[in-house]
Amino acid sequence: MEKTLECFKRILGKSKKENIDILIRGIFGISALISASVIIIIIIFITIKGVTPFISYNQGLGQVNIFRFLTGRVWLDGAAFSSSLYGVGFIIINTVYIALLSLMISMPIGVLTALFIAKVAPQRLSIFLRTVVELLSAIPSIVYGLFGSGVILVLVYNFAELVGIQSKGGNSVIATVLVLSLMSLPTITAISEVAIRSVGKDIELGSLALGATKTQTNFKVVLASAKSGIFASAILGVGRALGEATAVSLVAGNSKSGPSLGLFDITSTLTSTMLEGLKETTGLDYDIRFSVGIVLMIVILLTNIILNYVKRKVGSVSVK
Amino acid sequence: MSNKRKLNDIFYQFITYISALISVLALSSIFMFVFIKGSSLLDFGLLFNDYHEKYYNGGFNGDIDFSLTPEPDNLEANEFYSSMWGIALKDAKDREGNAIIIVSYISKDSPFSNMYDKNSVDIESSIVIKEGNIVSKISYYDKPTSLTRYGAELMIKDLDTVTDIREVVYTSLGGGIRGSLLTTLFIIGLTLVLALPMGIFTAIYLNEFAKKNKITNLIRSLIETLTGVPSIIYGLMGLAVFVPFTIAITKADSANLISGSMTLAVILLPIIIRSTEESLKVIPDDLRTASLALGANKTQTTFRAVLPSAYPGIVTATLLAVGRIIGESAALIFAIGTAIKDDVSIFGRSTTLSVHIWSLMKDEPANIELASTIALIILIIVLALNILVKLVSKKFITKIV
Repeated sequence: MEKTLECFKRILGKSKKENIDILIRGIFGISALISASVIIIIIIFITIKGVTPFISYNQGLGQVNIFRFLTGRVWLDGAAFSSSLYGVGFIIINTVYIALLSLMISMPIGVLTALFIAKVAPQRLSIFLRTVVELLSAIPSIVYGLFGSGVILVLVYNFAELVGIQSKGGNSVIATVLVLSLMSLPTITAISEVAIRSVGKDIELGSLALGATKTQTNFKVVLASAKSGIFASAILGVGRALGEATAVSLVAGNSKSGPSLGLFDITSTLTSTMLEGLKETTGLDYDIRFSVGIVLMIVILLTNIILNYVKRKVGSVSVK
Repeated sequence: MSNKRKLNDIFYQFITYISALISVLALSSIFMFVFIKGSSLLDFGLLFNDYHEKYYNGGFNGDIDFSLTPEPDNLEANEFYSSMWGIALKDAKDREGNAIIIVSYISKDSPFSNMYDKNSVDIESSIVIKEGNIVSKISYYDKPTSLTRYGAELMIKDLDTVTDIREVVYTSLGGGIRGSLLTTLFIIGLTLVLALPMGIFTAIYLNEFAKKNKITNLIRSLIETLTGVPSIIYGLMGLAVFVPFTIAITKADSANLISGSMTLAVILLPIIIRSTEESLKVIPDDLRTASLALGANKTQTTFRAVLPSAYPGIVTATLLAVGRIIGESAALIFAIGTAIKDDVSIFGRSTTLSVHIWSLMKDEPANIELASTIALIILIIVLALNILVKLVSKKFITKIV
């Protein structure tokens, strides 16, 4: 027995300490491999599940037509579990429309707040504001949703009544946009602030030396030099707006057809559609959510690619 | 400087002030809303009550031993006491705003402490009215029934005139969040057990063991990609991978807390890995080389010399992770379900606090009060965690310096 052990040791040529090293290294390496493979597992499983409705006959309901699915203007023609006529075309438009609108609100506010914190405010005030932004980003999305349905819906409803428009209890495009812009505000502010802070001091001093005022310098030089970082914050903000689910589902109103372009129309996004009416755990009405999930991931990916392209175009313009 | 220039500058300054003000307003209005709507229901009873109320029908068998306890001194003006039955009642409003009659005091020798359960086939079964129960009606043999809408005072007056009762209908107070609180705690525990070792090991591997080559870079960028995935996609993954997996290897037969924890663990992995790596990176290489030079092997160096210095980073990661678990809703709706439960089992469905809010808001009509109370609890916890993170990192920084 001892001889064989001795033999093994000689073959391996390693001491006990070194063997432990190899073991520990192996365990840690396997952990790293598992962590890295999770994203691959996600992609594989969601793709398999999401593609099924298009290639199987769905228990006699027939294949879902992929062209109709991507361009459809009605979520489902017929009753759930008895029809395969799904469409998400209008939901894709809704989702992108809402995300861009919310960016149009959160972007200027966020960037200007960042500028205020980084350059304008006295130190104490900027510490206070930074804490405010941190707290805003720590608030869970469901609380934003609750705030949306408790306050923003009421405001929108009253405003719509004031101008004489019918709104379904305030559930509308504008309510969703407001909730989402509130949610992406801290992300945009925090990242823009870092970008603004990292602008070189010499550029700023150069501008001041040329006779520009402090405010002129802040707006024309500092913001322009930080625009690559500011654009990065916009990309993250849009990502958050596109992927947000629970808060949106509480204020969107879940329309079944569209697209909804009017500000006071009820609407639906890819995420809110996925959350709606999840009762069964088998069948087409369940599987189709994975297809919507794939569409969501593709929409996020495409938006990222487009925005990154724009960022490169914009960022390459020299400001010096 | 021209006047026009000055005006322009003032205008531009002004809009930065306004923007900053909007952020402050947003935060304060969220807090105010949650606090105003939620604080009225916030009490300790809420934390330990069941969500679903239970109905009881009590009756008396044979002779009744009446209470001998005199009226206690500490009863308030709106509490009415029957010394014969040893019970004090008061009018109140429930969480939906309906009038109810609550038992505010019950003496030790009250006949209501020894009733039989009319809903049970077992004749020996005994049920007890407890303080906090809601009495909805008391019916007698030779008198009209006392109902909630006549108020507590009349009910006590009726009680004082009778010597026998046909039936007492009462319910336990519902609307509590004990089940969701318990679920949240279970989920936090399970998720951390799954995610922390995995994340820390990965971080150590990447920072201490891995060579700088393409494979390591690939692993890094794959993990980085996880941060960009929206949580609802993780939910789908939980539904497609972890729910069937847990059904196959445990006794669960539906979505359950384990599948939920696994889903959350995946969400947390990049957070834990990054935070741990950050703290490993700032540890000076001298520490490692000194340990190795003293004859320690790589394992000893990692566990004895490097890891202890990385503790603050790991603690920060844990606190951030707990915050994320408490706040997560979309992924859990898919991975655990939305049924609010009082009897929590890790093999069954139930809701965390966040999902509880979502379920309440999706109900018709939505219960905003209770939802806000839960939101208030969540906000308090999240804020406390944030402060803790700051304290830990402050301590950490002073230690390194």
